[in-house]
Amino acid sequence: MDTALQSLIYAADDHYLSDADLDRFHKDVHSLAERVEAYETLRDRELAILQPAADYLSEEFPNADPKLLERGVIHWLNILRYSSMAMLLNNSEFLSQRILEWMPDIVQAYQLQDIEKALYRCLQTQLKSSLSPEQLNLVKPYLEEAYATLLNVKPALQPSA
Amino acid sequence: MISVKELIKESRFSGNYFAPDAYIQGDLESGLIENRDGGRLLALPESFMRAIYEGLAEEVGSASEAVLYKCGAWWGKTFYRRFAGEVSQHLGRPLAEIDMIEFLQCFKQCWKTHGWGTIELDFDFYQNGFIVVQIYNSAFAKTSPTLDKPKCFVEAGLLSSFFGGLTGQKLHCIQTTCESMGADCNHFVLGLPERVKRAEAWLQEKHDHATIMKRLSQSQTDC
Repeated sequence: MDTALQSLIYAADDHYLSDADLDRFHKDVHSLAERVEAYETLRDRELAILQPAADYLSEEFPNADPKLLERGVIHWLNILRYSSMAMLLNNSEFLSQRILEWMPDIVQAYQLQDIEKALYRCLQTQLKSSLSPEQLNLVKPYLEEAYATLLNVKPALQPSA
Repeated sequence: MISVKELIKESRFSGNYFAPDAYIQGDLESGLIENRDGGRLLALPESFMRAIYEGLAEEVGSASEAVLYKCGAWWGKTFYRRFAGEVSQHLGRPLAEIDMIEFLQCFKQCWKTHGWGTIELDFDFYQNGFIVVQIYNSAFAKTSPTLDKPKCFVEAGLLSSFFGGLTGQKLHCIQTTCESMGADCNHFVLGLPERVKRAEAWLQEKHDHATIMKRLSQSQTDC
């Protein structure tokens, strides 16, 4: 559920929404059609976006364990899917709870940082050619949040006090 | 070359199975809160937890520590079985094929979603035969009477059974720091019983967690 809309609903527990709140509500509902369209594009072009990135990864890391490269690709498959849903719902907590709390330790444990960085670089190019600028602007904040979270991990294991 | 089409076909994707909005469900009309597997969940008020501590202290005195540890151990045994089954089913792979890091991530998320605080695992002493667990915002520490020693016996018992199930070995767990005593988190040490139990004497001597871990690690080389 859109957290902004949810907050408005809770706020209106004992009164009607103000004009300012109704404006926010209207803007949010109005952008839903654009978000649905962007979601459909990301869904329908999933392979077209990710296969070139996977190919680039194989060239960039010719000596890497293929299982690790696959793991990186699967991470970004997941991130794209959940970012798309978070965008559709207009809810960044969805992305955080479903993926971003989950993945950083795995990235750290398998030392995937360089692979993740390379994939993200290539994905940005693929997304620019697959989405309109407006659609890209809708999903970009979620992808940037995912990238920042994945690559800014604190060590998963803390030394004993 | 990596085939993304094949990866999608294999469906090896999984988000956080224990994400609160997905994991906690229920039929409010019937007054039921359930997990996504259909298992019933209950909300435990703090006052109920306090009553358990106080009631036990009144009935069995100092033996309440052993009783609470035993309760935790029983709970941990069934919890491990149920948890492992849920994770295995969700990921579509038998337990033996699941990466340990993935399994432990599920465990951390499960812990958090159930409202038991947050849990971190420290494997710095693994080569010495010990696992250190840190629990923050423990419900059991918060509701225990504040005394001069660690009080999270239920959690200690649970951790001993859970990791015993995971490793296939009989393990013992001792708490070395406690939020009820003003520590920033609750430290637990897991290991073979004959080794970890040495820490009980050092705890009574009021040694801190770092000293206890140093001594435990040295005690391995002394064997």
